[in-house]
Amino acid sequence: MEQKENRQSSLVRTPSSPAPLQRRSKSKSYRQSYRSCVGAASRLCFTPGLTARRLNTSRRPPRPRNIKEQLDPQLLAVLTKTEWQLSYVTPLFQFRHTCLKSYARQLSAFLAAERQQGVAVEVDGDHGFRVSFSVVQGLVESERDPEAVLVQISSKPMFGRPEDPEKTVWSGWFSCVHGSPDYLSSLPQDFVCLPLFCSSGPETLTSIVKSWFRRFFDCSFGPLELDHNTLQWFVTLWTNCQRETDLQRLIMLWTIPAEPPLQVSYEVDAQDAWDLWCSVRRSAQQQQEEEEETEEAIDVKEVQEFMQELKHHFYRHFRLNLSAGNLSQVATALGSAKSSGRIKISNSRYMITTLSLLTECALLKMPI
Amino acid sequence: MAAKQNLSGASDSDQSSPSDQSLSNRSINRSLRLAEKERRKNEAEDSFVLALKYFNEGSSPCARILKCLVPSSVVPQEAVVRAVVWLGISKIAVSTQILFVKWVLTMFDLIDAKDQLYQIYGFIFNFVTDENLCPFICHLLYLLTRKENVRVFRVRKLLELQSKLGRQAFLLHLLSLYKVFCPELVTLSIPSRMKTGFKNHNSPWKSALVAVQKRNGAQVALSSSLSISTSRKRKLGHMDLPTLTPAVNKLISLEPSLSRKLVPLVQIQSFTQLLENIHQIELPAQMGSLLGSSLALHYLDCLQDESALLRMNFWLGYALHEGANQNSDEAEQFLEKLLSTQQFLQEGFFSTEAFLYKFLNVWDGALMRPQILGLISNIPVIPGSQIGRLLFEPLMQLFFTSALYFKCGLMDCLNNMLLKWLTWHSVYALEDDLDISLNSHTSINFTLSGFKNSVEGCHSLLLSFVLDFYETVCDMFLKYGLPLVVMPPPGVFYPAFFATDPVSVDRLAYIMYRYKMNLTSAKYQEKRTEQAFHINGQTFLEFNHYVGLMVNCLWNAKMFEPGIGIELSEKLLLRSNVPNYTESFHLIYHPAFLSYAVDFHQQCWPKRKNLDLTSIKESKPWRWYLEFLFSQGFNGLKHFLESNINWPVAKGSSQGDGVSSQALRWHKSLPLLLPPGSSPLTQPKFPASPSLVGAFTVDSRSLTASDETVADVRRANGRTELLHSASLSDGEAALRHASALLPLPSSLLLMCPPRYRPGVARFCLFLANTRATCETFI
Repeated sequence: MEQKENRQSSLVRTPSSPAPLQRRSKSKSYRQSYRSCVGAASRLCFTPGLTARRLNTSRRPPRPRNIKEQLDPQLLAVLTKTEWQLSYVTPLFQFRHTCLKSYARQLSAFLAAERQQGVAVEVDGDHGFRVSFSVVQGLVESERDPEAVLVQISSKPMFGRPEDPEKTVWSGWFSCVHGSPDYLSSLPQDFVCLPLFCSSGPETLTSIVKSWFRRFFDCSFGPLELDHNTLQWFVTLWTNCQRETDLQRLIMLWTIPAEPPLQVSYEVDAQDAWDLWCSVRRSAQQQQEEEEETEEAIDVKEVQEFMQELKHHFYRHFRLNLSAGNLSQVATALGSAKSSGRIKISNSRYMITTLSLLTECALLKMPI
Repeated sequence: MAAKQNLSGASDSDQSSPSDQSLSNRSINRSLRLAEKERRKNEAEDSFVLALKYFNEGSSPCARILKCLVPSSVVPQEAVVRAVVWLGISKIAVSTQILFVKWVLTMFDLIDAKDQLYQIYGFIFNFVTDENLCPFICHLLYLLTRKENVRVFRVRKLLELQSKLGRQAFLLHLLSLYKVFCPELVTLSIPSRMKTGFKNHNSPWKSALVAVQKRNGAQVALSSSLSISTSRKRKLGHMDLPTLTPAVNKLISLEPSLSRKLVPLVQIQSFTQLLENIHQIELPAQMGSLLGSSLALHYLDCLQDESALLRMNFWLGYALHEGANQNSDEAEQFLEKLLSTQQFLQEGFFSTEAFLYKFLNVWDGALMRPQILGLISNIPVIPGSQIGRLLFEPLMQLFFTSALYFKCGLMDCLNNMLLKWLTWHSVYALEDDLDISLNSHTSINFTLSGFKNSVEGCHSLLLSFVLDFYETVCDMFLKYGLPLVVMPPPGVFYPAFFATDPVSVDRLAYIMYRYKMNLTSAKYQEKRTEQAFHINGQTFLEFNHYVGLMVNCLWNAKMFEPGIGIELSEKLLLRSNVPNYTESFHLIYHPAFLSYAVDFHQQCWPKRKNLDLTSIKESKPWRWYLEFLFSQGFNGLKHFLESNINWPVAKGSSQGDGVSSQALRWHKSLPLLLPPGSSPLTQPKFPASPSLVGAFTVDSRSLTASDETVADVRRANGRTELLHSASLSDGEAALRHASALLPLPSSLLLMCPPRYRPGVARFCLFLANTRATCETFI
């Protein structure tokens, strides 16, 4: 308190007015409440996040990581087999990794109630749907990352025999890999930040699950689309893996804003792409040599140059300049990403890199 | 059954004795009204018990009597309890049973107390198994249920019934009420189209009841509990307010004793209830739902929980980002709602602020303009180092590319924002780390130095909004205790002073008057208290310069007097062929007041055929003329003249000298406002050069002032491309200044009488010519 006083006295202060005013004691403010929890001088240094936050301009090249050793192979199979629809989620309020069983019970009752609107259902009971919540242990990168959570809904086939096994009809998972430590630490204890939500299954079930999460944890879901910039990063990061894993082919789908809209599918042999990338990398590193940076981080300039070279190559062959267009889809043997926000991760070795890029995108979408 | 015996034996004698007693009590006159109430109650009980005797017998007259049983005042609770007890004996016909429950439902509001009914909740609940009674009993239970009544076994029983009877509205209503009390026990989703309320009204009964009540003059509110509304709409949209529902995720509160005491916000129905429970209110499942209820907003206003506010901000930010980009009615309504909420709370949400900073970069200035401008004006104080990049940079771009109405709207919005900041400052200044007095100096300068360039176009509507802004600015010290005085830039002052509409001139005069009040009192305080702030000497100089110019023009008719800032060479002025050019902006000839002068002349000398305005200058008519102007509502002018010119002195002086002696008096009053160590007339001047370009000698002070502003902006922003004039050389700035100085539109011609038109036209032409010469010279 004294410190504050001292600091203030050095400034030009409002002189005390002749008639002493009744000063209202400042108890709270919607603005300050946020500031105080973020810490006024921290991450945002007074600028609300959005205007300051940008996608990282440089990132480390993907390192193969054998997460097979850490992850339950069954869970890993679930995560890598399917194509996921991406969403971002605002931090979950009062989510506990220890209460997953109870969540499963509540969600299955909620599902049943939503399916037959107007009929109340008992919380503990058989509703035809079995919901399971499970922790995906090990799908984290830094200490602050909360563990990922997988939700699966299974049901017995409608006309199946009783001994038929249950079939998973919907699955979705929440994760946070390498989330910005500043952002994560700025949140109060009550919140768990799992900003990336991947879902797969019937749309009706997705919306029911989302609305249950909204009500239970007071969070909001929004679509996570992958823009041109992010897809460029995917192209580069994946190409960079060619040394260890064969990518087979690099497939890019471009959308050219012509009338009628033009879609260009551009396939490059993985080895050719790798050679091109190496030359871009070499020239860039030569420039950097003076600075003697041991860190072999990939810079956004290199990414742009690599893309430029790819476009040049295309122009040389087909006389069509791709610069006016946008990437709408990228695919290699490691996986595929679409601008509509669908992603498939085929190879678990580079999963962490992919997920940390996606987590970054999701965190960028956070409203505050 | 005891109750039954008790009642069948129940007796008139038992009941009549207290009634007698009460009658005798009346004479004692202890409490007349109380006794009266007691008596009526007893009488009522008498008749009800009598009637219910038939009920006990279960015969057909019973139904008939029940139909006629319309209470004149209240229904004693005891009678209802006894009758419910009889229901347990299945001696009574089913139809009569139903009729009775219906009767209770209809008369429910008239039952004098409900405590005993609450106690037999479990007993009443048992009747739900009766298929015939079930719908009505459910309704009765709906009216009686309290939180402690909701138990697992009852929920089970209702679910069992539901599986037996199918989805019935009455079960659903009761269950949804249970869900409100104990959401963890009931999982239920209500279909979008649900019939509203229970349909158990008996309208002839009700109308009879109303008629009887009316006759007896009793004022019992009816029907509020008879129907419930559960209208719910389902829309798919990001900007829907979530419905207010109690929290479901209660796993945190492990102590049941603690959690039981909490009252969900949904159950709070009135402000008094809110006050009673203010310390034990349970927040709803979704914080966003608070926006939908005015009662909840009261609670939000005193909420301290940071997590809760953060939840609110997360949701609000999400809704704004996902929904605001489409121009839909939904989005518009949402923003309206948000705006009124923020006005209610007198503060903006953080997420709104964050949203706006992002949105302003893509806003076209038209999409939901009133709402967005409203939200902008709610933005809390931002430090001067950020304000440019976050707010003014995008706004300025919009300002320069938008039509007049947007400019006016934006000025209005900035004015509102300033007002809020000043209010905020005056309340929190001493406690908060953010002292606006440091920030606002740059921000105000910044705002107007940025926007003033376009004021040169000087549409009177825009000018009026700009003057609104300065009306706030000039009073910052006296009204809000902000130790800062910022003078308007020349780009605002001159267009307002040379305006053709008298309102602008009058308002400018008022603003200058308020500046004087503020500066004098600041000066006084500076003398009195040692540690007070220092007002920049430049501010005093600027003020003196403006006032000097105004008095010289309006009063002394010495427009091109050396030292007042506008200096043109004599030759040039003569060449213009304007007669008496120094008088052009005298109070009589000023384009804004010329028509008044003519009007006055006609009223003063109705028989004169020749218009001779100079005759107004004579002592007596002059004072009449001023009175005449003041009577037209030019109070600003009145204040200005009264404060700057020693007004009553004029009385004794002769006609010619009177004016100048008044001006002298004014000069005497000046030094009070000057900063120590400087005198009013020793500022440096540029020598007037004979060449045509040199003919425009621009006052150095206003130039340096605007240059300082530029420097301020540069310092604040770290960029230069923001301000156009920042890149201009001094000579160009001087020209810009000069062109700001001479905005005489041709509409002036229409305002003056025909005889004067040639003269005015020539003057205008002269001004236009000189301007053109300057432009060609560039």
